[in-house]
Amino acid sequence: MTALLRVDNVDKIFSRRGKTAVEALRGINFSIEEGEFVSIVGASGSGKSTLLRIIDGLLEPTKGAVFVDDARVEKPGRDRAMVFQQDSLLPWKTVIENVAYGLTLAKSPWPQASKVAERFVAMTGLAGFESHYPHQLSGGMRQRVNVARALAVDPRILLLDEPFAALDAQTREIMQTELLKIWQESRKTVLLITHQIDEAVFLSDRVIIFSARPGTVREEIKIDLPRPRDLELKRTPEFVGLVDHIWKLIEAEVRLGVTASEG
Amino acid sequence: MRPIFDFLEQDTRLASLLRVLLSAICVLVLWQVVSLFVTNRLLLVPPADVAVALFHEIQNGDLWTNAVATVTAVVSSFLVSVAIGIVIGLALASSRLLSLTGGPVLSALNSVPIIALAPLFVAWLGLGFASKFVLVLMVAVFPVVVTTEAGLRAADKPLIEAARSFNATKLQIFTTVTFPYALPFIVSGVRVAWARALVGIVVAEFFGSFAGFGFAILSASQTFDTARVLGYVFVLGAMGLIGSVSFAALERHLAPWRQE
Repeated sequence: MTALLRVDNVDKIFSRRGKTAVEALRGINFSIEEGEFVSIVGASGSGKSTLLRIIDGLLEPTKGAVFVDDARVEKPGRDRAMVFQQDSLLPWKTVIENVAYGLTLAKSPWPQASKVAERFVAMTGLAGFESHYPHQLSGGMRQRVNVARALAVDPRILLLDEPFAALDAQTREIMQTELLKIWQESRKTVLLITHQIDEAVFLSDRVIIFSARPGTVREEIKIDLPRPRDLELKRTPEFVGLVDHIWKLIEAEVRLGVTASEG
Repeated sequence: MRPIFDFLEQDTRLASLLRVLLSAICVLVLWQVVSLFVTNRLLLVPPADVAVALFHEIQNGDLWTNAVATVTAVVSSFLVSVAIGIVIGLALASSRLLSLTGGPVLSALNSVPIIALAPLFVAWLGLGFASKFVLVLMVAVFPVVVTTEAGLRAADKPLIEAARSFNATKLQIFTTVTFPYALPFIVSGVRVAWARALVGIVVAEFFGSFAGFGFAILSASQTFDTARVLGYVFVLGAMGLIGSVSFAALERHLAPWRQE
């Protein structure tokens, strides 16, 4: 089986004139199979968001390349769609218009675009809120719109950039189970970036652990927990063991980050 | 009394209209009372006299003649300055070089009290429409330029990134993100421009015209007809208020998410 997404020896160095260059990523190598759910966890500053932007085509790698189905990624394309953190919705557009945004940019006529959008509005539990504006929705609802917008363009790979980071703990747990349901329904390939270890373990088939500054792949762990999963799983010893193991791998770096930001 | 207060504090259209009426009545009553004690009619005339003078101006047609002269000049010049202001703002926002080289010149021009150049404009362009038009243009264009550029530059980075992620072209990013984001900024600049345009037109008419509100105010004050002066000032105030209220409403309509 060939990989759907292949990240091949990617380095990223940010160099700005007059400032010291920052090495964000070094020698990143991994691949994702069709239909797989993979998460990347790492301390802040491990360059995981940068990597996601390189995969999406928003940033260019300094060295190496990303391939989707053996085609080199050079710019954003319809085979990938990104779910951003909070507040990337257009505030002057309604829910349905926001969900259809990717389609209208691709010049899809409104009757078709809105029909497709309606399907994903329903799938993400937003039915009844089609003509609301983002500022009238809660944080959790806004992220549903964000997910629906990405799904609406029918990408092969869904890229999620800490999509639930700004939500409160309870809403986050609900959104995790919703995301699993949507994933099972749509059978997309998913790459999720998160700093929440339990989120990564709960959702994924595989977790890739990044080390910080520069970001490198420290370890890949297969999550062999049975599916479908529900929140009960988070209390099983297997789950807790996996979370603990990953935490130990990145603990030192997280602590370093905490003292650095405090100092 | 309590129920009346509660009603007036409501957030409805009727309540806010009543609040405006109430404060206007208070001002008028206060004015009338003060003018009972200040009896020198050169210094202060009671509101009733102003109303009479204004009514007289309507009857003899002067108000209409002056309104035509002032409104045609100020509205046409205002519209042109909004258009020019947006175009210059767009140009400045799209080119860093242009913004860096042209910006200082514009802010220097903006800080010169252009009103003071009114006599010069009259000397160059003669009495009448042309000098009014240019003076209003010069004072009204800057707020639009500044807010257009600022609004276009303020566009949210995450919104632009999301658009890029969905493969938006440069033009699509402009039409679907940058410009809608800047629109309420531009309208707030337009609101300031309208207020400035009214000042500009009055000053222009002081210096060089044979008709218009500014001309009428000047000639009335030269004959010490304070009631007529205040009558025209009242009309100008109403024009300013209507503009300000409607542009503020437009701003709210374009950016409802900023209210909450």
